[in-house]
Amino acid sequence: MTGATGWLLVGLGLGVVVVRRRSIAVGLVTTQALVLAVIALQQAGPASDVVAGLALAMRAAALGGLFFVAVVRSRESQPLRARVTPMVRAGVAVVFILLLTALVPAFGLTSRPAERAVLALVATGLACAATRRSTLFQVLGIVLVENGLALAAIGSPHASSLIIELGVTLDLTLIVCVAALFHLRIFSEFGAGDSAALRSLRD
Amino acid sequence: MISSQALAVVVVAVPLVTAGLVVLAPSKHLTVLARTCAVATSVFAVVLVGLAVKDAGHPLVGHWIVVDAAGALLLAVTAVVGLASVWMSASFLQGARSSFVVEGHRDRVYYVVLFLFWAMLLAVPLAGNLGAAWLLVEATTAASALLVGFSGKAHALEAGWKYLILTSLGLGIALLGIAILAAGVPSGGVSGLAWGRLATFGSGRSTALTAYLLILIGLAAKIGWAPVHNWLPDAHSQAPPPVSALLSAALLPTVLLVAWRTDRALAPLIGVSAAQRVLIGFGLASLAVAVPFLWRPMAFKRLLAYSSLEHLGVMALGVGFGTPLALAGVALHIVGHAIAKALGFYAATPLLAHEPRAARHAVSGIGRTAPVLGATMGVSLGALSGLPPSPLFVSELLILAGGFESGRSWPAAIAAVLLALGFLGLAHATIETLVGKAHRRNVTLLPGLRLVTTLGGVSLVVLLGLTAVAPWLSGSSFVDALVRGVP
Repeated sequence: MTGATGWLLVGLGLGVVVVRRRSIAVGLVTTQALVLAVIALQQAGPASDVVAGLALAMRAAALGGLFFVAVVRSRESQPLRARVTPMVRAGVAVVFILLLTALVPAFGLTSRPAERAVLALVATGLACAATRRSTLFQVLGIVLVENGLALAAIGSPHASSLIIELGVTLDLTLIVCVAALFHLRIFSEFGAGDSAALRSLRD
Repeated sequence: MISSQALAVVVVAVPLVTAGLVVLAPSKHLTVLARTCAVATSVFAVVLVGLAVKDAGHPLVGHWIVVDAAGALLLAVTAVVGLASVWMSASFLQGARSSFVVEGHRDRVYYVVLFLFWAMLLAVPLAGNLGAAWLLVEATTAASALLVGFSGKAHALEAGWKYLILTSLGLGIALLGIAILAAGVPSGGVSGLAWGRLATFGSGRSTALTAYLLILIGLAAKIGWAPVHNWLPDAHSQAPPPVSALLSAALLPTVLLVAWRTDRALAPLIGVSAAQRVLIGFGLASLAVAVPFLWRPMAFKRLLAYSSLEHLGVMALGVGFGTPLALAGVALHIVGHAIAKALGFYAATPLLAHEPRAARHAVSGIGRTAPVLGATMGVSLGALSGLPPSPLFVSELLILAGGFESGRSWPAAIAAVLLALGFLGLAHATIETLVGKAHRRNVTLLPGLRLVTTLGGVSLVVLLGLTAVAPWLSGSSFVDALVRGVP
């Protein structure tokens, strides 16, 4: 994986942290997942790598479709205003990225840019989940983390287990499906997919 | 004769097949089908546990399946609590008024998701490698989140959402740690992530330590260790009572087992002391956070949830101290906590019918208005508080003694003070709940009371039995096998 591809993936992730519209964020995450699938298929060696790459492509398409449906079925009269401005959110994400890349030593992926991109995507996902109010954006944060982990599997120097890779893809897709289901139920119960409404259980 | 390996597959397959059968079965037969299959699952699990304990010195170790002493312990707990939860579910469903799904499909969906959750939970202690263990733990999240939010009410949705997001992000961080390990293990693939092979990691101590910390921090979010425990009180208090029992008594210690095995596997690389310090830190933090809440008047299920935080902290301390004495305490604590905590959550079903305010507020005087229910709650709370002759009193003593024995006197002393404070808080809550001021209440028909009373009687006998065998536990071949871990 080249440095430019890494920057592209991280740029798409930062876009999700910054943008206001959910549909644009869904487009960015889907594009990121498709780019990952293309990288996986480009680098594929044995047949198992091809299967894993195809699974990533299917996951990207399935999640894109699922999020599209979730956006359409939970249309809000006006977008939720985040508590923190886009610039501050971007700043938080960059700080997370710098911290994680500084703290985690080289861990043996095929290239250092790939390692940095993995850590940056995980950090971006955490920043997204922490700073966005919309429940859908919090789910997108999980997907960003997942995309980072998929990149780690692609960049691994060893042939990893196909069953484990497919299992991870399936598991994470399942989690996102359940989260999307919750998002829709929260929308119908509270009239908005707003995580700020989910703060009544406190001691 | 069937092998342990085949039996392990059967133990997981039966609840999975049951989930499929529940989809197809006529509505009027759902309860009978669920209970029958739950009995079958538990019988197979108990046979497997018997084989594992009988031959504890020679565990079955494969790339996909491990049947060792620690796994057998958690398998036994999960099987028994799962069986009781399935039996209690009919009483819960009988009184349930709302759900996540449409009314006509409510019971069917509940049993399907419950059996899927139980199957994944039974599989975790049998996972032969870290990758498979992670997959199974993550799979429990998807199923159990649906169960936490099952009532579909605003509070349940909130609890389910927090649980799903926080534990998924935590497990994402743990997976980053696993990816780092996978990249540095020479053989790669499944065999590279097998418990016994993790120590072949070749990218250096600092990288191994980073991976270990990421895995532990990620798993801590799922175990509910402080400071990443925010979802725990909400999920335990809002889930259906039989599910709360499975979450607290089985899921949390099962994920702790994954942390324990990771700790043992990586200790030679990162240093035993460094590995233990992390666990002891989580243990003390959990105790320190839980104790103040045990002193506050609180809704019954929420009180049990904070008690889980305290007890998972105690288990972390025991694993962190790592001596045979401490590990004997951990084994006793896991079983005693599971029985007492599950009984408490089961008692919540008749309690909420008896006193609906108990869903949100502390209750008092239950022993005066419903003596049998009060006695059952008393057994649970008394055991959880560590009131002698509770086995949790003995297990806490063993763990503290193990701490002093290992030379970690300060953490053991701090833990002793926190445990004493926790005992006083929970003992006060127990007295108030049982013999405090009583209100006029519904005493006509309490769903599940007969079953809860039976479980209470059985639990009392088992808890006293555990206390009786505790002195012989340390030094037994079972505890020796716990100390050795997965070879």
